[in-house]
Amino acid sequence: MKRRRFLKSMLALLGSTTLLSFLYPLLRFIAPPTGEARVERIVIPKDEVPTGGAKEVVYRETPVIIINRPGKGYIALSRVCTHLGCLVEYDGRKGRLICPCHAGVFSLDGVVLSGPPPKPLPRFSLRIEGENILIG
Amino acid sequence: MTLWQRIIRWLDERIGLTELVDTHLKGYRVPSEAGVFYTLGMVAVVAYAIQAVTGFVLLIYYIPHADYAFHGLQEIMRKAPFGWLFRMMHVVGSNMMVAVLFLHLFSVFFTGSYKKPRELTWLTGGLMLLFALLFCLSGYLLPWSQLSYWATTIVTAMPTAFPYLGEYVTRLLRGTEHVSGVTLNRFFALHVAILPPFLVSLMGLHVFLIRRTGISPSPFRRSEGQAGGYPLYPHFLLKGLFMVMVYLAVMFFIISFMPTLFLPAEANVPADPYKTPAHIKPGWYFLAPYQMLKLIPNKFLGIFIELLLLGVFLLWPFLDTKEERNIMRRPLLLGVFLLTLTLWILLTLWGKYS
Repeated sequence: MKRRRFLKSMLALLGSTTLLSFLYPLLRFIAPPTGEARVERIVIPKDEVPTGGAKEVVYRETPVIIINRPGKGYIALSRVCTHLGCLVEYDGRKGRLICPCHAGVFSLDGVVLSGPPPKPLPRFSLRIEGENILIG
Repeated sequence: MTLWQRIIRWLDERIGLTELVDTHLKGYRVPSEAGVFYTLGMVAVVAYAIQAVTGFVLLIYYIPHADYAFHGLQEIMRKAPFGWLFRMMHVVGSNMMVAVLFLHLFSVFFTGSYKKPRELTWLTGGLMLLFALLFCLSGYLLPWSQLSYWATTIVTAMPTAFPYLGEYVTRLLRGTEHVSGVTLNRFFALHVAILPPFLVSLMGLHVFLIRRTGISPSPFRRSEGQAGGYPLYPHFLLKGLFMVMVYLAVMFFIISFMPTLFLPAEANVPADPYKTPAHIKPGWYFLAPYQMLKLIPNKFLGIFIELLLLGVFLLWPFLDTKEERNIMRRPLLLGVFLLTLTLWILLTLWGKYS
């Protein structure tokens, strides 16, 4: 191998090593931290959510709405619109959840009725224990 | 010999100042028909410089922390001497800078100045417009108002339209699951440290390319004017300086008489991560894409079409390879241009009043 070619190869090798040695820590540094699974439970008295009413809570840092659907009972849905992340608002009169940003409309079961949201609102497991509603 | 002349001679002996001025200012020729539209690039550079200077000044008091950012900015507006002026110059200036870039883009398109050999000049200019919009986006979050918070939520959620990597990119931008103080820090770093060197480099490259290829003569000129064009200095620079003064006059007019033009009510309410304001709207320059997203009933399709249009815009000189630069002799292109412009205006107005 000629000296000039050897120098070029070494330059490429050392250059790539230096670049990778910098890029890897940089990518790790700016990467979002992995979410830690935390045990969290929310307890709400049933009388805070009357029939046809709703209550907004925060569960695992996600805004959640608990709705008492007439004839169907309680449901807990994420308020984060599956379109672009705005928070849906409960319209009790129309029995709909409406996103104020891009006019997405969801049923009280979280199903998309109209607008651009690609999927239903995520549902959280909920159970009734005595006079309380439990999430988590 | 006056002191000024002695300074000039001192510099001339060391760096060849006279030769530099003769070659690059007086000797550099600009097409004789170069009117005010040709000066928009120069106005854009000054507009960016104003943003940089007012931004540096605001940095003295601004605190990039979710607990302090909003109230800190209110303090700048109310208590810091002339803080309101620098903030308003920064806010109004950012909008006006985008307006100037749009006008510059339209004039370059209309005169066919993107054609060979100026394809790279168009590409760097287009990228600079994108960087200017990124500046606006990253700066939008910094006041930590309702407007900032929810506009950033929407924009950072856009990558989720794409499968596999989309969710990760969104979390990478935000630093957390939802927009938070971590996002504020990231956007602050982007706004004041990461974007500026990229934009300045692109600006340097853009100017370099203009110097190499020369300023494009107008395809509409009727008379030849002065043979070989006019010198850059004093003719063209003075014309540019006049337009800079027009820019400043408009800026100070807006600050004095229309101060809420770019600061809607939501911009004066601190961010509430649990309450999306009704009818939140992005800045005027994003209203057309915003309305498009509302109209297209599929998230992936909506964002994909917008990215596709962006790609077409950036690579336009490589798609339109016909030699004819006079758009008046190309009715199809003229039609497409006018249709696009009309659609953009209509979508903007629709987005504003819907």
